[in-house]
Amino acid sequence: MMGPDVVWYLCVSAFLFCTGALGVLIRRSPLIVLLSLEIMLNGANLALIAFSRYHGNGDGQIFALAVMAVAAAEVVVGLGLIVAMARRRLDLDVDRLRTLRG
Amino acid sequence: MILAASEAGNVLVWIVWIFAAFACLGSGIAVVSFSNPFYSALSLIGNLASLAVLYLLLSAEFVAAAQVLVYAGAVMVMFLFVIAYLGGRADAPWAGGPSWQALGAIAASSALFVEVIVVIGLKTSGRLSHEAEVDSFFGRPSQIGQLFLTDHLLAFEITSIVLLVAAVGGVILGSHSRAAGVETE
Amino acid sequence: MIPAAWICLFSPLAAALVITLWGTRLSRRGAGYIATLSVGVSFVAALVTFALLLGDKPDDRSHYSTAWRWLTAGSFHAGLRILVDPLSVFMMLIVAGVGCLIVAYSIGYMDGDDEERRYFAYMALFVFSMLLLVQSGNLLLLLAGWGLVGLSSYLLIGHWHERPTAVAAAKKAFVMNAFGDATMALALFLLIQRTGSLDFEVVFPAAGSFGGWAANLVALGLLGGAVAKSAQLPLQTWLPDAMEGPTPVSALIHAATMVTAGVYLIVRTHALFEAAPRVLELSAGLGALTLLLAGLIALVQVDIKRVIAYSTMSQIGYMFLAAGIGAYANAMFHLMTHAFFKALLFMAAGIVIHALAAEQDMRKMGGLRSFLPWTYVAFGVGALSLAGIPPFSGFFSKDSILAAALANNGWYGDLLWVAGLIGTFLTGLYTFRMLFMVFWGEPSAFVREHFHPLERDVPGLALGVPVAVLAVLSAVGGFLQFAGVWTPVSNWLEPVAPSLVDASGVQEAVSSVLGVLLGAAGIGVAWWIYAARRASAPRTLPVLVHKFYFDELYDALFYRPAVWLAHALLRWIEQPLVFGSLREIADGVRGLGTETRRIQTGLVRTYVLAIAASLAVVMVVFVVVR
Repeated sequence: MMGPDVVWYLCVSAFLFCTGALGVLIRRSPLIVLLSLEIMLNGANLALIAFSRYHGNGDGQIFALAVMAVAAAEVVVGLGLIVAMARRRLDLDVDRLRTLRG
Repeated sequence: MILAASEAGNVLVWIVWIFAAFACLGSGIAVVSFSNPFYSALSLIGNLASLAVLYLLLSAEFVAAAQVLVYAGAVMVMFLFVIAYLGGRADAPWAGGPSWQALGAIAASSALFVEVIVVIGLKTSGRLSHEAEVDSFFGRPSQIGQLFLTDHLLAFEITSIVLLVAAVGGVILGSHSRAAGVETE
Repeated sequence: MIPAAWICLFSPLAAALVITLWGTRLSRRGAGYIATLSVGVSFVAALVTFALLLGDKPDDRSHYSTAWRWLTAGSFHAGLRILVDPLSVFMMLIVAGVGCLIVAYSIGYMDGDDEERRYFAYMALFVFSMLLLVQSGNLLLLLAGWGLVGLSSYLLIGHWHERPTAVAAAKKAFVMNAFGDATMALALFLLIQRTGSLDFEVVFPAAGSFGGWAANLVALGLLGGAVAKSAQLPLQTWLPDAMEGPTPVSALIHAATMVTAGVYLIVRTHALFEAAPRVLELSAGLGALTLLLAGLIALVQVDIKRVIAYSTMSQIGYMFLAAGIGAYANAMFHLMTHAFFKALLFMAAGIVIHALAAEQDMRKMGGLRSFLPWTYVAFGVGALSLAGIPPFSGFFSKDSILAAALANNGWYGDLLWVAGLIGTFLTGLYTFRMLFMVFWGEPSAFVREHFHPLERDVPGLALGVPVAVLAVLSAVGGFLQFAGVWTPVSNWLEPVAPSLVDASGVQEAVSSVLGVLLGAAGIGVAWWIYAARRASAPRTLPVLVHKFYFDELYDALFYRPAVWLAHALLRWIEQPLVFGSLREIADGVRGLGTETRRIQTGLVRTYVLAIAASLAVVMVVFVVVR
C-alpha cells in the first residue's frame, strides 16, 4: 500500500477519539457535547476502516456504515431532546440540568 | 481508484495524507474549542471532509461517499438547523480558570491517548506493517452491497429498525402537544 | 354397653359443634335446649351403661374400647380409648346427671344474656371434657380431658369478658391449673420411661416395681395436678376468684364436677399412690389443712357465692383426706353427695341473686324467707346436708370419712380425725351464718327495693325444677350407703379401688355422734350470733379476711419477680441487643446510602468523566496483564 502505514491512521484515530472525549467532558452546552460525540464516533470509524484495509476484509467498512447510521439516529434523538428543552425554556447547560441529583 | 505504484505516487499520497490528517486534527480541536456553536459545527464539517479523504486513501470509496452524503450532508445540516433555531447560545468553556473537572478531563483523555499510542507502538511492533493486497473490488459499492445482503444481513435489518425507532422518537419529541407550560427546574 | 358409653361421651360434643356451627341462626333459647338435651342423652346413655354393667359379674366389670390408635412413637402407643368400669360409670352418672340439671337451670339463669349461645356451647364442651376425663382408658387421654376441662373453665369463668375482674380470674385459674398440668405431664413422662405405655392395665400393676424415688416423683406429679385442679393447699387461690363466672358455671364446674377431678384422679391411680405411701399421707394432710383453712376463711366472707366456694374447698379437703388414707369408696360417696347438695346450694343462691338483680353481698340481704319460701326450703336442705345433720345425705358420707380416719392406726390418723371434727364445727357455723344472714331477720331496705319474684314461665320453671330435684336428691341420696350396714357404693367400687381401711362399728358410731354434735353446735353458735342477735359477731381477724395472705405471698414470690425479670430482659437484652442491633443495621445501611448518594451529583459530565477515567485505568490493567 502506498502512503503511510495503517499505524499512522490509528494514531489519528486515537487523537480524534481523545479530543472528542475531552470535548464531552469539558463543554457545558449540550449541542457542543453532541458535536464532540460525533468526533469520537468518527475516530472510531477511522480505526475500523484502517483495519478493514489492513486485513483486506470488507467487514470493517460494513461496521463503519452501521456506526454511521446509528450516529445519525442518535443525533436525531439528541437534537430532539435539545429542542424540547429549549421549548420548555430550560437552561441549555449540562451543569444546571441536575434534577437527578441523589 | 487504484493509484499507480510509483515513487511519485507514493509521495503524492504522503502529502495528501499529511494535509488531510492535520486538517482532521485541527478541525477536531476547533470543534472542542470554539464557544460559538455555529463555528463548532462548521469545523465538524471540515473534520468530516478530511476524514472522507482519509477513507479514500484507505481504498474505502463507498464509505467515503457515504460519509460526505450522510454525515456532512444530512446530519450536519440537521445540526445547523437546530443551531439556527436555538440562536446559537454561546457558553464560555474556558472562563473562570480550570476547575477540577477540566483538569480531570484533560488528564483522563491524555492518559487514554498515551495508552493507545503505547499499545500501538509497543505491542504491535512490526505486525501492523504488512497490509493485505486488495483488488479493485475492495471498497466498491458492489462489494459493500454483497456483504450487506449476504454475510451481514442481520446488521442491515437491525440498522434499519434503529433508524425507524429514531424517526419515531424524533417525531414524538417534536410533537407540539408536549410543549405545555413552563417547567421550572 | 360400649356403644352407649361412646354416645354418652360424644353427645355433648355434638351439641357444642351444632351450636357453634349453627351460630346466630339458632335462637338463644334453642341453644339451651340443644345443650340440655345432649347432656340428657348422655345421662340416659350412662344409665344404660350402668344397667348393662350390673349384669356382669363383679370381677369382670372392666371393659376397654379403642376407637383408633391415636399416637405412635417408636414402641409407645396411645389410643383413643375409653374404659367402662364401676368407677367410670359412677362418675359418668354424676357428671351427666347433675350436669343435665344444671344446664337446664342455665336456661333460666342466662335467659336474656347477649352471649347465651356461646355459653351453652362452652357448657356442652365442658361436659364432654369432663366425660372424656372420667371415661378415658389411658393416662394420655385423661390428661387431654384434664386440659380441656381447664380450658372450658377458663372460657366460662371469663364469660362476661367485658369485666376485667372476670378476665383476671379466668387467667388466674388457667395459670394455676397449667402448673398442675405441667407436674402431671412430668409424671407421665416418667411413667412412659419406666413402663413404655400409659395404659391403665400396664401402668398400675407395674407401680410396685418402680423403686423409691421414681414412684414418689410420679405420685407427686399426679398430686400436683390434683391439687391444682381441686383447689387444695397450696394452689387454692383461684377458686374464690372463679366465682366471677355465672352461677351455674360455679355450680357445675367449681362444685360438682371439675374440682372433684383431683379426687377422681387419686382414686383412679391409687396403685401409683400406694406405691408411694408418703405422698399418699401428704395428700391426706393437705386435705386436712385445706378443710380447716377454708372453713376459717368462710367465716368472714360477705359474698354469698364465695362462702359456698370456700365450703367446696373445704369439702374437697375431706375427700382428699379420705383418699389419702385409702378410703376410696368413702371419698367417692362423699363426692356424689357433695355434688348434689353443693350444686343445690349454688343454684338456690343463684335464684336469690337473680331475684335481687345480681346482688351478691349478704350484708344487703335479709328476711328473704318470706319472699322466696321454696328457695329457702331448698337452701335449708342443702345447708343441713352440708353440715352433716341426719337424715340428709351429707351426714352419711362425711361421717364415714371421719370413721375411716379414726380407723387408720397411729397418731396421724387421729390427728386427721380431730381436724375433720373441727371442720364439722366450722362447717355448721359458716353455713348457717350464711343462711341466717340471707333468709332470716327483717327484710332489709335493699331487699324491699330490688326484689322481683320469679315468673311462671320457661325461665322460671327452668330455675325452679332442677333445684327441686336436687333438693330431693340431697335429702335422700345419703341412703345409698349406710356405713357398716348397707354398702352398695363400696361394693360397687371395690374391684376398682379396694379400700385400705375398714372402720369398725364402734368407730363409726363415735364419729357419727361427735360429728352431729359438733355440727349442731356450729349451727347453734350461728343462731346465737346471727339469728337471735344475742351477741355480736367477733371482730374479724385481718388474717382471715386476707385469706391467710396466700394471694400476697404468691404475688411476691412469683408475680413480682416475673414482672421484674420481664422488665429487666426488656431493658438489658431486648432493647440493646435485639432492637438495638436491628436499629444499628438500619442506621448503618442508611448511613452507607447517604454516603453513596454523594456520587449522584446529577451532572452528566461527572459521570462521563468517571467512565473515561475507569476506561483509562482498565486499559492499563489490560495491557499490563496481557
